[in-house]
Amino acid sequence: MATPPSDSPPSSAAGKPPNPVSVEPSTGGNPDTKVEAVKESSPTSVFVNSEPIREEQVQNAMKFLSHPKVRGSPVMYRRSFLERKGLTKEEIDEAFRRVPDTMTDASTTQPAVSSQDGQIKPSSNVQQQPPTQVLQPAAIAPVGSASKVGMLSQFHWYHAILAVGFLAASGAGTAVFLKVLKSWIRKVASEEDEEGLLKKNDAKPSVAEDAAAAAKAAAVAAADVARASQEMLTTKREEKRCFEELLSMLNAQVHEMKSMSNSIQKLESGQSVNGRIALDEQDNQRFLGTSSRQPYANGKTDTESRSVRSTSPPVSAEPPHPKSYMEIMSMIQRGEKPSNIREINDAPPNPNQPLTNPRAAPRPKPWEVSQPQNTSVNTYPSQEISNGTTYHFQDNQSNGDDEVPWWQKKNVRITEVESSEEHDFGSSNMPAANNQPPQRSWVPPQPPPVVIPEAAVAIRQPKKAAVQAERMNDDQFLARSGDATDELQKITRYSETAGGSVEGSSGFSDPSATEIQREEDNGANLET
Amino acid sequence: MPVFKTPFNGYSVKFSPFYENQVAVATAQNFGILGNGRVHVLQLGPTITERAAFDTADGVYDVCWSESHDSLIVAAVADGSLKIYDLSLPTAANPIRSLHEHARECHGVDFNTVRKDSFLSASWDDTVKLWTVDRPASVRTFKEHAYCVYAAAWNPRHADVFASASGDCTARIWDVREPGSTMILPAHEFEILACDWNKYEDCIIATASVDKSIKVWDVRNYRVPLAVLNGHGYAVRKVKFSPHRASMIASCSYDMSVCLWDYMVEDALIGRYDHHTEFAVGVDMSVLVEGLLASTGWDELVYVWQHGTDPRAP
Repeated sequence: MATPPSDSPPSSAAGKPPNPVSVEPSTGGNPDTKVEAVKESSPTSVFVNSEPIREEQVQNAMKFLSHPKVRGSPVMYRRSFLERKGLTKEEIDEAFRRVPDTMTDASTTQPAVSSQDGQIKPSSNVQQQPPTQVLQPAAIAPVGSASKVGMLSQFHWYHAILAVGFLAASGAGTAVFLKVLKSWIRKVASEEDEEGLLKKNDAKPSVAEDAAAAAKAAAVAAADVARASQEMLTTKREEKRCFEELLSMLNAQVHEMKSMSNSIQKLESGQSVNGRIALDEQDNQRFLGTSSRQPYANGKTDTESRSVRSTSPPVSAEPPHPKSYMEIMSMIQRGEKPSNIREINDAPPNPNQPLTNPRAAPRPKPWEVSQPQNTSVNTYPSQEISNGTTYHFQDNQSNGDDEVPWWQKKNVRITEVESSEEHDFGSSNMPAANNQPPQRSWVPPQPPPVVIPEAAVAIRQPKKAAVQAERMNDDQFLARSGDATDELQKITRYSETAGGSVEGSSGFSDPSATEIQREEDNGANLET
Repeated sequence: MPVFKTPFNGYSVKFSPFYENQVAVATAQNFGILGNGRVHVLQLGPTITERAAFDTADGVYDVCWSESHDSLIVAAVADGSLKIYDLSLPTAANPIRSLHEHARECHGVDFNTVRKDSFLSASWDDTVKLWTVDRPASVRTFKEHAYCVYAAAWNPRHADVFASASGDCTARIWDVREPGSTMILPAHEFEILACDWNKYEDCIIATASVDKSIKVWDVRNYRVPLAVLNGHGYAVRKVKFSPHRASMIASCSYDMSVCLWDYMVEDALIGRYDHHTEFAVGVDMSVLVEGLLASTGWDELVYVWQHGTDPRAP
């Protein structure tokens, strides 16, 4: 889509705090200008993440992805978790690429064993699995504690259950593993012996020695594993305690969920309402809910079930729902249908109904003034501006057509003039464009209003009067003239009659006065 | 200021880009939990009158006007369909189209203001779909979010770029020419309910979340927000950048208020309206009339007022 070069962000309103050029993640000065140029020619490049891949983030992601529990979860949830942690798509893809399905990441046993004997190496993968799995649970803790509401709450739930099971299993598993390892080593040693029998005798002792050395190394490694697992067990016990606390809380919630899902299943047979329970209902569940639910100050305590579509907002008290809302919710959960629902057939009577022709041309947007090429209609404002004879900002349709305008918005120009008071808006008010100067050159009529602060103040007061003024009928609009002095007089008149009923005052120019009043109001509001 | 009472709970209100005095309102019965829906087209005047109303079998969560056709309205319905209505035809001939592809509720709909020929639908089935009015099937489906997508918003300057806000706590920037999202903003720690682009700075986007805050981001430096707007007491449901002032934002929240912010200012909250008596769920700023605001909420009321005035003033 054509974006004129003048519109490119770096050259637009200066009021923005981040200098777009300096913030550009590209690495040097030259690339900045290049990116700028690229931006101008292909604007979408601004909306693309151009950060380089952060290795640290990829490493964290890999640790997360390597976790066995994570492996059991749908890929979508894993991606979603990483996205929420702030990883870019590229980083996530890289992490997925680096963590294949078989576990081969470093564990303490691997280097010791694999460096010893080539023959043991192929099966070292097998023995990696248990120690890796035993060691991996250490990764659960940071992941688990870092989890928050959202999809990961499901992990949390499973985490808790599986981790506890793991704790029990790992202790037994380690013992079993050690036995298995020893027997395996014996087997290897005996295999070596058999092989050695086929070979010459002198080869035999060396092979046997190698096997023995390897077995020793394996035993040492196994001892290391045992030690490590001992340490793990102690930490696991602590974690177990925390998990158990969590479990008790989760159990309470599970009961809730079960009862809710039961009622929902009942509903599902008739209606598909379960999904309807969305953001509001999240709060509602709490309301209906339970004394055992703790405030979600830390956002950790609530589970969510996708079927119920709830999350926990970070409020200690949910927004108070209307009473009738609660009644309807409870009705639905009981399986009753509210009685005011009608059967309505809202299908199109004629799906092939030909589209009618529009009766009005699209009107330019206020921010599009600077881009005449966006729509053909955009030329209108420019003409008007150059004419300087009308205050209409968008005058595509003759005003007589629709009743429009007791509020027909007025000049952007007066806005801009007034914006000197509202310094904050300042330049940001104006649509960045090269057409601004021509507009501003037409501005001269405006300064007079600003010169009369009393009028401004007076106008500021009677909001009520302005409201009534806005209700004035359309005739007043048509009586509008483009003469600046007239306008000035009208404004003065308005200020003189300020505080009183302005309705019906003839010659009062609605748009300009109300607009100025609006501007003043805006100014007043801004100044407060 | 005029007010309109809808029979159902309000969900969304949008000004017409063609006529200053028209708004469309999306409503759903029984707070949108279960029940019918209705799309109202209101005429603004000394009072607000109803120009047309269309009933739907399920609640209507969002509505938007066509940018190229002054009489077309697209409604996002809770049964997952999108209904297109033509106001120039009698009610009996409406809707003229029903586009049903989403597997779950349609929660948001947005029309492209640059190309003016296409619109997006955001659904609780985790996808965003791209449609044109003349085609019976979607043009593209964008499936990457891990949870409900609550809103999609076209970039006001770049015809192919849009943003989506999702319950998976991320906002994504997409380019329709690319197969997947081009940027992922982990904008909040909680669900993101709405997003909108700055109309004057094409790289600035605001996200509104369940965490009660609105964050303003520059996509070129999206690790740190430009501003965090706190002040709402509960989840922020909608956020809209002003079509007239570059740094002004309107928002509505479950705390029943509509707030106006200027994120470039130290004390960003510049206006607060507490006219609703239930959740304020929809807010819009008129593109044609500067400072004109509209809001609707679960109290079944639609307000239209000028910024700086009291919405409830008679």
